[in-house]
Amino acid sequence: MTALPRRIIKETQRLMQEPVPGISAVPDDSNARYFHVIVTGPEDSPFEGGLFKLELFLPEDYPMSAPKVRFITKIYHPNIDRLGRICLDILKDKWSPALQIRTVLLSIQALLSAPNPDDPLANDVAELWKVNEAEAIRNAKEWTRRYAMDN
Amino acid sequence: MSGEEYDSDMDYSEEDCGYADYYNTEEDCDIDQIDPSKTDPEYFVFDCLSVEEVERLLNESVESLSNSLQITPSLAKVLLHAHNWLISEIVSKYRSDSSHLLVISKIKPPHPPEPSILQLGRLQSCPVCLASQSSDKFKSLACGHPFCKECWSMHFEVQITQGVSTGIGCMAQECEVLAPEDFVLNSLSRPALRDKYQQFAFRDYVRSHPHLRFCPGPNCQVVVRAKEPQAKRVICNVCRAIFCFRCGTDYHAPTDCSTIKKWLTKCADDSETANYISAHTKDCPRCHICIEKNGGCNHMQCYNCKHDFCWMCLGDWKSHGSEYYECSRYKENPNIAHESVHAQAREALKKYLHYYERWENHSKSLKLEEQTLLKIKTRINKKVMDSSGTWIDWQYLLDATSLLAKCRYTLQYTYPYAYYMEAGPRKELFEYQQAQLEAEIENLSWKIERAETTDRGDLENQMDIAEKRRATLLKDFLENWPILSSSKRKTFF
Ligand SMILES: [Zn+2]
Ligand SMILES: [Zn+2]
Ligand SMILES: [Zn+2]
Ligand SMILES: [Zn+2]
Ligand SMILES: [Zn+2]
Ligand SMILES: [Zn+2]
Repeated sequence: MTALPRRIIKETQRLMQEPVPGISAVPDDSNARYFHVIVTGPEDSPFEGGLFKLELFLPEDYPMSAPKVRFITKIYHPNIDRLGRICLDILKDKWSPALQIRTVLLSIQALLSAPNPDDPLANDVAELWKVNEAEAIRNAKEWTRRYAMDN
Repeated sequence: MSGEEYDSDMDYSEEDCGYADYYNTEEDCDIDQIDPSKTDPEYFVFDCLSVEEVERLLNESVESLSNSLQITPSLAKVLLHAHNWLISEIVSKYRSDSSHLLVISKIKPPHPPEPSILQLGRLQSCPVCLASQSSDKFKSLACGHPFCKECWSMHFEVQITQGVSTGIGCMAQECEVLAPEDFVLNSLSRPALRDKYQQFAFRDYVRSHPHLRFCPGPNCQVVVRAKEPQAKRVICNVCRAIFCFRCGTDYHAPTDCSTIKKWLTKCADDSETANYISAHTKDCPRCHICIEKNGGCNHMQCYNCKHDFCWMCLGDWKSHGSEYYECSRYKENPNIAHESVHAQAREALKKYLHYYERWENHSKSLKLEEQTLLKIKTRINKKVMDSSGTWIDWQYLLDATSLLAKCRYTLQYTYPYAYYMEAGPRKELFEYQQAQLEAEIENLSWKIERAETTDRGDLENQMDIAEKRRATLLKDFLENWPILSSSKRKTFF
């Protein structure tokens, strides 16, 4: 494996020294490009009280290419599918090498606070979110309790 | 020189009139006698260019724009690509508001950049690699976002590897400014990568150019050029692919580009459904409701009237013994399942299948007749060798076969057109002409297959009738005909 670029070392240091509130991102002991991430469900969202595990991987050409991020904990959300894949523009065509792990994680946290059913990844969830938001929120709370609490 | 005019040193390729070409008859070459732009609804002037010729053509436009606006060729390329190579339009927009033009073309940012914080010799941190370097190691586009040279070249490398070229932009977040060609090439050291960039850029330029179209033939390098992006027939003079100039797919007159696209998508989507429905549903022989078969058992019970029947022959199940696969009524009347039309749900499917089956059938016939052509060639060869006639004596037979293919091809493409037509007198006229064409084509096909016993004059007469029917149908229904003014086309000669 090639030496870790300065950029990754610096980002990791900063993530450890000044963690983002509500987010923990710890590099794997054996692979410094792989991060174990835990995002706390934001207050006043159906995910409140949940702890959501994610994995984040920095590809070989990071930061020229976006990090790969995926939810491991099951979550009921219109922009996150069954496999945990996230529909977020900055992870795709709006990626800029000037963005960082920190900004990506903040955007994911913001996505939990403000689901966007008009740009769906999980179609059935998005559909319900649009036609019956109250029921969708009930489902999201139920999934949070079932999959993202006391684990 | 204006990029919209053709240079005279590039001659229009001669379409050869050889009999090997199904779709090309002598009339295409008879331009001296009558003006084909007035008589032939499929008349279209185009030429087949090599990559080098197209590069030269594009470079002439780049040079012309760069000279008249006093900008670098690299910026001229960004402008031309963003505005469909319409030099005069770009020039007039530039003259009236150059700043606005540069912003909408993503050459300049919408707001002027912050005064540069770069100070010569001072150390500065690159926002991407976070390394501190002296300011002469930094570069930025017109937006002023500074990044170190190493990061720029890595950025370009990753983008080019993904097939991006003219679309590569600044690395700053939410900055839309594009990197012009010279900026990219100056950052790349590996020749292979520079070549790749130029290849992809060439592809993008041809695609944004309204007068150019890549030949869709497999592995064909030809670029076809025509004066106007019309839905007209093009024949590649290298690989012989026949396609529509406007949309680049198989030629499809009288159907227009968007309709044929809709039809082909429908065929691709529905072939599953249609096959499924015809294989898995039948009408109940008693109440005619549509029943779906969802298991392997051939003993069916209608969910509506509870009638028990055999899936295979639709006979009463009570009359079936243990060896029901031998049920005789199946053999006697295999079409019984298709006779009732009570199921409303199948009406739409039936309509679609009606057109689809004919579309498919003519496509198959076309392939069969290709084989007929080969057989005829062998037969003629034998006859000539046996000294019964010369090559020239038998030429008419090959011409007839070519004409047959051309007519049948058009006939095939009348079905998607008819499928989407609204009911009314125009559709009635269309289907009348379609039936006439179909009848004459079958007559011609019959006579060709029995050519040795058919009188040559009779065959030639039949050819004439079939082609006239085809031309009539196209003249009456082809898009843009005869709306397009012939004066425009005359400027070609
Ligand atoms: Zn850098
Ligand atoms: Zn920028
Ligand atoms: Zn070709
Ligand atoms: Zn077309
Ligand atoms: Zn029934
Ligand atoms: Zn039977």
